[in-house]
Amino acid sequence: MLTPTLPETKPIKLSVRNMAFSYGDKKVLDDLSLDIHAERVTAIIGPSGCGKSTFLKCFNRIHEVSSAVNVSGDMLIDGVDIYRGGIDEVDLRRRVGMVFQKPNPFPKSIYENVAFGPRLFGVSDRTTLDGLVEDALRKAALWDEVKDRLKESATGMSGGQQQRLCIARALAVNPEVLLMDEPCSALDPIATAKIEELIFELKESLTIVIVTHNMQQAARVSDYTAFFWLGRLVEMDLTERIFTTPRVQMTEDYITGRFG
Amino acid sequence: MRAVPAFRRSRSSKLVDRLMRGVLWGIAILFVVVLILFVGAILKQGWPVLNLSFLTKMPETLDAGGGIKPQIFNSLYLVVLSLSLSLPVGLGAGIYMAEYAGKGRALNFLRLCIETLAATPSIVLALFGMIVFVQAMGWSFSIRSGALTLALLNIPVITRVTEISLMAVPRELKEASYGLGATKLQTILKVALPYAATGILTGLVLTAGRAFGESAILVFTAGTNASAQFPDFRLTVPGETLSVHLWYVTSDGTLPDAREIAAGTAAVMILVLLTLNLLVRLVDRAIRRRTR
Amino acid sequence: MPDTSGASLIAVPSGGGFPVEAAAETRASVTGAPAFQHSRIHRMADRWAHLAFLACSLLVVGLIGGILFFLASKGLATFWPMAGSTGRALSFSEVFLSTDWAPSSDRFGILPFIAGSLGVTGLALLIAAPTGTLTGVFIAKLAPPWMRNLMRQVMDLLVGIPSVVYGIFGLTVVLPLVSRTWLAEAPASGFAVSAVILAVMIVPTIVSLSTDAFESLPASLDEGAQALGSSRWQAIWHVLIPAARPRLLTATVLGLGRAIGEAMAVQMVIGNNPQWMALMRESTDRAPFLRALFTPAATLTTELVQELPNTAAGSTWNNVLFAMGLLLYLLTMVLILATRRLGRGKEA
Repeated sequence: MLTPTLPETKPIKLSVRNMAFSYGDKKVLDDLSLDIHAERVTAIIGPSGCGKSTFLKCFNRIHEVSSAVNVSGDMLIDGVDIYRGGIDEVDLRRRVGMVFQKPNPFPKSIYENVAFGPRLFGVSDRTTLDGLVEDALRKAALWDEVKDRLKESATGMSGGQQQRLCIARALAVNPEVLLMDEPCSALDPIATAKIEELIFELKESLTIVIVTHNMQQAARVSDYTAFFWLGRLVEMDLTERIFTTPRVQMTEDYITGRFG
Repeated sequence: MRAVPAFRRSRSSKLVDRLMRGVLWGIAILFVVVLILFVGAILKQGWPVLNLSFLTKMPETLDAGGGIKPQIFNSLYLVVLSLSLSLPVGLGAGIYMAEYAGKGRALNFLRLCIETLAATPSIVLALFGMIVFVQAMGWSFSIRSGALTLALLNIPVITRVTEISLMAVPRELKEASYGLGATKLQTILKVALPYAATGILTGLVLTAGRAFGESAILVFTAGTNASAQFPDFRLTVPGETLSVHLWYVTSDGTLPDAREIAAGTAAVMILVLLTLNLLVRLVDRAIRRRTR
Repeated sequence: MPDTSGASLIAVPSGGGFPVEAAAETRASVTGAPAFQHSRIHRMADRWAHLAFLACSLLVVGLIGGILFFLASKGLATFWPMAGSTGRALSFSEVFLSTDWAPSSDRFGILPFIAGSLGVTGLALLIAAPTGTLTGVFIAKLAPPWMRNLMRQVMDLLVGIPSVVYGIFGLTVVLPLVSRTWLAEAPASGFAVSAVILAVMIVPTIVSLSTDAFESLPASLDEGAQALGSSRWQAIWHVLIPAARPRLLTATVLGLGRAIGEAMAVQMVIGNNPQWMALMRESTDRAPFLRALFTPAATLTTELVQELPNTAAGSTWNNVLFAMGLLLYLLTMVLILATRRLGRGKEA
């Protein structure tokens, strides 16, 4: 975690300016502006229903798969507008990977789950795939546990292993950003700890944005923390500062448990 | 304080309850018995006729002793042909309805059309086939007329089963696929369809069974004659199937052993369908055991 | 206090500055490994697939219209002769309102067939609707799991038996049985036997839809009724059946549709006598109604099967037959729309 005295050296990866979001005519997010730095972990905290997951999903435009949405304002990746900059959303989703709340491995073998991504883009050579699968599984700290049973069905694994498999699956297509939507909420403490360890390792090469309603987790893993309430950004700062000397009273109230 | 009347179940209501339970059980058992008697009678009548020569001989036109070899061939041939025609259309329409059509009036209208086609009596489809294929296209009573019209029978079932099976695919799986950067087609082909495959397959087998037993359509499109050449894969010749043969031999009545042939044909059809039914159940159980 | 020395971020509701390191060069991918991209083929395939699937759906819609069109082209030629028709134009009343069917004498009243269809279907429903619905509630609410399984398999088998086999069964088993009794003279046939066979054919449809209807009722309904002390049957009769009524009606309507459209099985046992109404009127029997049930009769569908091959294309007889087919098709559409209306009533 960063300490307040170190200057930020990493460039901005994702940038949001005056962004508002609505489902049909229901406005869910409003007036959001923040920056996410590359190779840092940014946590988004806030009570249920405050729009954290909705916001996260805007980065890879996964909403559009199932509903008609309205996004105003700017969301930029490396300075290019995600919505209006001519970026193809299918390409975007390869660059911005996602891990979901409940592990959702495909009902296929472990190998096929991880190879699914590269196969989408035309990789079919067996040796290349083997290499990519092993790389991804190693990065997700799962290789040693599954290397002898790659052909077994992914659905037979434990919850924690399945989630790490989902992480490996996302990593296999070489994303630049990893969005994590409450990835540990369905897991036991040991599995959670393993994934938090993973996040530490992954952030060296990946921008991570993690939504969590577990404040201790946010405090443990993230460099920056943003506090959302009712679809708006209340405060965003270095994690250590947010949790020790928050600027806004509401933030302090939430962190100390006065509401939430 | 007024005494509250003690509500107790009357004797008559208890009697009625017991009686109606008995009635319900009785009706259910009646159906089971009807089925057993039905299948039993057909098999009993047909059994003495079923021998290898019956199954492998060509039919007679005037004398006794004919077989049903070409009809067996035609039945299978027409099922395979009509399924290969209706499968792509049914799959395509089902995929469109489940994955592309949205939720509004377009989808509603499509569903209405599918339901109407599904409920259309087969004799009406036979009339249509007659006008379009037999007469207008000039194909006369032929395998191709029969296969195309039979395909009309299959399409609504395949479409419905495809749509239902695809809608049962969990949203998270599709989300995961899109999240990795898959296109819609890739998600459908690599995630949704594999998941829906067993449901669709079961629907296909049921459709095959229905096409196998269909007679009204084929009388008016594939005709009541079978080719003298065996096996005849040509699409232009008439193709009497087992079901049509059963009907024709019975209605026409000129054959001296019409009864026996009809009995044998019916028995063959029942046996085929029983086997199909059993197969479906076994495959279903095997698949369910595998994905546990 | 905002730290402006480096690039700390502060966002307060009233907005704020974002002092940031200058360079924000685009990052290359994580490990220098291949940057995956969709080939043009993938993208084109995606777009073409959408069109292909749409085309399949449009084909289905087109079929509905096509069937209507072609049936009408021949059927309506009865009333408005077109090129190729050899007969004269008939009037609606002489076709739909007359019981005089004698094609060879140029008389085409199809009322006997309409009445026949309605009669056979009505009788079949009389048998199948109550038994089917009760079996549905039996499977959903009363039967133990093994019995439920058995019933499902029985219904699956019954629905899979081809209609010609039903016809043969009626012909070789049921008819001889009936003709041995006093009820019928030789050769026994008519409404009663056809209706019974038809009933068995449509029962699986009614049963499966009724079972679904009962199973989809909220459990609280049944529990609530029984918590008040009602017996199993009282709960079924007074609460569950009324609650499931819209879907039960839909089940019956769909059974009706199947029954009206059934051709082969009925044709094999009904006796195929278009003059049945006249025959019935002339009958001077002591038990006219019972005899009527066994009079050889005819329906819309049986007449089609019976006579279509024998009529010349373009002749009035031929056109009238197609008009009957058109009538059946329109009836189907009406029934489907009726089930929609019933279904919507339930949501209200």
